[in-house]
Amino acid sequence: MNTAVDAAPHTLLLAGEPVVLDPDRALYWPARRTLLVADVHFGKAQVLREGGIPLPRGSTGADLARLDALLHRHGARRLLVLGDLVHGRTVPDAAWIERVRAWRAGHAALDCAVVRGNHDRHVDPARLGFEGVDDTLHEGPFVFAHEPAPDPRGYVLGGHLHPGVVLRERHAPRARLPAFWFGTSVGVLPAFGRLTGLMPVQPAPMDQVFAIAAGLVVPIGTRHRRT
Amino acid sequence: MNALRGPSMQDDAALARLEDWFAARGWAPASFQRAAWSRFRAGESGLIHAPTGSGKTLAAWGGPVLAALARGGASPRRGPRPLRAIWITPLRALAADTHGALQSLADGVGLGWKILRRTGDSGSGERARLARGEADALVTTPESLSLLLSYADAPERFSALEAVIVDEWHELLGSKRGVLLELALSHLRAQRAGSAAALRVWGVSATLGNLPQALAVLMGPRGGGALVHAETPRAVVVDSLLPPDTLRFPWAGHLGLVQLPQVLDAIGRVRSTLLFTNTRAQAELWHQALAAVWTDDPATLALHHGSLDRALRTQVEDGLRAGTLRCVVATSSLDLGVDFAAVDQVVQVGSPKGVARLLQRAGRSRHRPGEASRVLCVPTHNLELVEIAAARRALATGRLESRVPLVSCLDVLAQHVATLASGAGIDAAQALREARDTHAFRELSDADWQATLQLVEQGGATLGAYPDFRKVVRAPDGRLTIASRAAALRQRLSVGTIVSDGQVAVRWLQGGALGHVEESFVARLSPGDRFLFAGRTLELVRMKDLTAYVRSARGKPGGVPRWMGGKMPLSTELAAATQALLAEHDPPEPEMRLARPMLDAQARLSRVPSAADLLVEIVAARDGEHLFVFPFAGRLAHEGLAALLAFRLARDAPASFSFAVNDYGLVVGGRRLPTLDASRLRRLLSPDDLAADLGGSLNLAELARRQFREVARVAGLVFQGLPGRSKSMRQLTASSTLLYDVLAEHEPGHVLLRQARDEVLRGQLEVARLEAALRDAQARTLRLERPERLTPFGFPLWAESIRGQLSSEDWQDRVRRMAERLEAAT
Repeated sequence: MNTAVDAAPHTLLLAGEPVVLDPDRALYWPARRTLLVADVHFGKAQVLREGGIPLPRGSTGADLARLDALLHRHGARRLLVLGDLVHGRTVPDAAWIERVRAWRAGHAALDCAVVRGNHDRHVDPARLGFEGVDDTLHEGPFVFAHEPAPDPRGYVLGGHLHPGVVLRERHAPRARLPAFWFGTSVGVLPAFGRLTGLMPVQPAPMDQVFAIAAGLVVPIGTRHRRT
Repeated sequence: MNALRGPSMQDDAALARLEDWFAARGWAPASFQRAAWSRFRAGESGLIHAPTGSGKTLAAWGGPVLAALARGGASPRRGPRPLRAIWITPLRALAADTHGALQSLADGVGLGWKILRRTGDSGSGERARLARGEADALVTTPESLSLLLSYADAPERFSALEAVIVDEWHELLGSKRGVLLELALSHLRAQRAGSAAALRVWGVSATLGNLPQALAVLMGPRGGGALVHAETPRAVVVDSLLPPDTLRFPWAGHLGLVQLPQVLDAIGRVRSTLLFTNTRAQAELWHQALAAVWTDDPATLALHHGSLDRALRTQVEDGLRAGTLRCVVATSSLDLGVDFAAVDQVVQVGSPKGVARLLQRAGRSRHRPGEASRVLCVPTHNLELVEIAAARRALATGRLESRVPLVSCLDVLAQHVATLASGAGIDAAQALREARDTHAFRELSDADWQATLQLVEQGGATLGAYPDFRKVVRAPDGRLTIASRAAALRQRLSVGTIVSDGQVAVRWLQGGALGHVEESFVARLSPGDRFLFAGRTLELVRMKDLTAYVRSARGKPGGVPRWMGGKMPLSTELAAATQALLAEHDPPEPEMRLARPMLDAQARLSRVPSAADLLVEIVAARDGEHLFVFPFAGRLAHEGLAALLAFRLARDAPASFSFAVNDYGLVVGGRRLPTLDASRLRRLLSPDDLAADLGGSLNLAELARRQFREVARVAGLVFQGLPGRSKSMRQLTASSTLLYDVLAEHEPGHVLLRQARDEVLRGQLEVARLEAALRDAQARTLRLERPERLTPFGFPLWAESIRGQLSSEDWQDRVRRMAERLEAAT
């Protein structure tokens, strides 16, 4: 897990705009003071517990603390979630909902929105104090979406895929790392939620991939890339 | 019951009918078969020790058949009837075969029994007939038996059960599958406890070093049970196919294809040959190589291994029975009791790695009564020459491997409790009694039992830490039941202890299954890539829903799938025999004469390792300095020892060391090693502070994290990928490493984390054996050599370290270093 203390962000020019890749699985857009995260999957721990998988409580609080650190580190004024803010159907009075609402109440000045993802049908974002955006959101030069698909209006930033890379090295077990994946017209953020899985990406030759490891954002050359 | 009255008129009549059936085939019952039958009829349980092909199935099956004959009264043609007997087989693939043999005896004596199969392969029709209770007997696997216990009608279904027969018990002993079966047997015994005749449990086992223990584990802590031996084992003649020219003989791991012409000659001299390899990849490559030079009808050469589709395997097994095949290339998939007439010749490519395995494989060769069975070994590199000669010696002195039974696997216990709760439910106190009535849990502590209950009832030990957790609930009267129908369904989907990498089905584009390969192999392929599988060159067309669609291709394949567990470790017994043989001066075996130049080179450069000394070599090579140690203590203990050495070296002088191990020893290498002399080496190899140093070695956490994958799967914390699994199931996927991290953070004392660490220490690192190896090392004379180049014993280790997978470094440090290097390059 990454700690905020030694996190080393990585700046990148995307569609002509400078953006910051944060190793805590977030992208910061300085021009609009907007922090972007994807696939938070709040409430997954509870869904797992209801399904008989013993996962101790505390993951929502940990994810919220990570958000706090990110917002503070970058001085963000707005939080934009690229879909899947919540994981699944839940009991109406689930403890995690209260935690998220309390957190939201403590950040009254923060603008919070979510581009609805396939999981967000389970809980209305408004209940969590998030503005819900259906389909996509166009803010030049970017188009924000959940499922990443090219859009004529601009460079698409999305989530949904939970991209990652698998690294193999001599003398070492395989490492699976979350990653940012930027194609020529579409970019995909790593999943923010700690309880989410990874899908190894299969990048095209011109794509840029940045793995997150040990508090660093590491550009991955094709030579080191195995999927 | 008849069993308690001793032999009666009905018994004599029944025996006569069974003997008639034998006589009609021109056979006579062997004395061990008679012994097993009469003990069964006397109400006893036991273990039949017999090699494959000796009539062990009839020995074990005769008992229940005689009991049914003596009871008289025919089974109804249709409709429900009481289930009398369960036959457990470790391999689904064996079920069809065994079923045929059991049914044919039952029909032959006019019993009119309906015997059903219940395995993962069973069709819906068979399942439905079983659900309606239309079976007198059942052929099943340990997992499917467990599954049957998860249904509410289990107590009724098993209420008239007289016998459980565990075939190939040696295959299950020593694994978690065996532990799962112990628990199921204990439950079935307890269900029969109130009735007039106790459940009779019989096992069938091949030769093992610890047969009395195998019997004791099967019987449980109450003991009893008879050990019935087949006739004295046949002598085995071990020949080697020695290459004409030793100069080209490699020093390290090789396929052995250099011997292809001689092997082809050997195959040509007889009518039928079974060619065993140690891995599936090796089988594919040998099959391909033979096919390229095969002059006979191509249909007479076949391939058989565990990843092939069942229909393909059945085809080969039928071909073996019909005698239409000249040569079958096979792996251990044919070690087990697939019944077919013996072949003319058995060939073993590479070292057999174990004495018992060689014995079993040799048993597949045709022999006349009183004659020895033979096996022709094909060494593929120099050290295998020594191993083959050592295996022959070990066979002659009867030194065979043991299978050490596992104890106290709380993940298996948690699964079993949830399984019973999913069915009719069980009283908590009764579940504890049944658990303690197994060998694995006979010393189960109250604390561990409570921890297991907490795991299935509330998720963990800390009350309130797992809100809304739902799996097993306890009623006020102490009865454990499953929380919901959905939970029961999930429990049924996670029954079993076999943890496999994601498997991808391989199918023809036009339909038809070829088998399974590991997901990680297919993930590296792109459409259009060619690979070798099922004895054919295939082209990947597309991947969809965990299925790789392929078509036939020409040209050179790009790769051969490798399956997990590809490396077969040398058994302790064979390692000891090898070491003893090396210590001898000029042994007479032809293999040893051929190995002489290699051993001379070893002696010239350094010295040949022996049991009295501990050989240590320090070699400076271009890629760094390497410390070789040769304790001959087994691959697992070497792994722990290498980690320990790397850790202690790094503690003295911070640096990064990589290591690799094999059956003979280990190598620790780095850019530079600290200055080492004999006394410093003794300190490095000291057994003092072993536990602390191993615990301090950062590797342990990573090993435990990886081991947790199996533990979490068995205990039902993660679900294995199932094709076509529902969306609601997909929502419940969480990787075991993630779970491990979260649990380690929030509940470090979690019972399953402890189990993962224990399994690493006991199972993976064999700490007890490691400690013994260290004490042993202190007692031996330490011989420190500094050869100017890699020695024949050091070379394979060095080669292994080149592609090794272990590092003493912290994982994060490694990524950081890699990251720095990458950043410097950009």
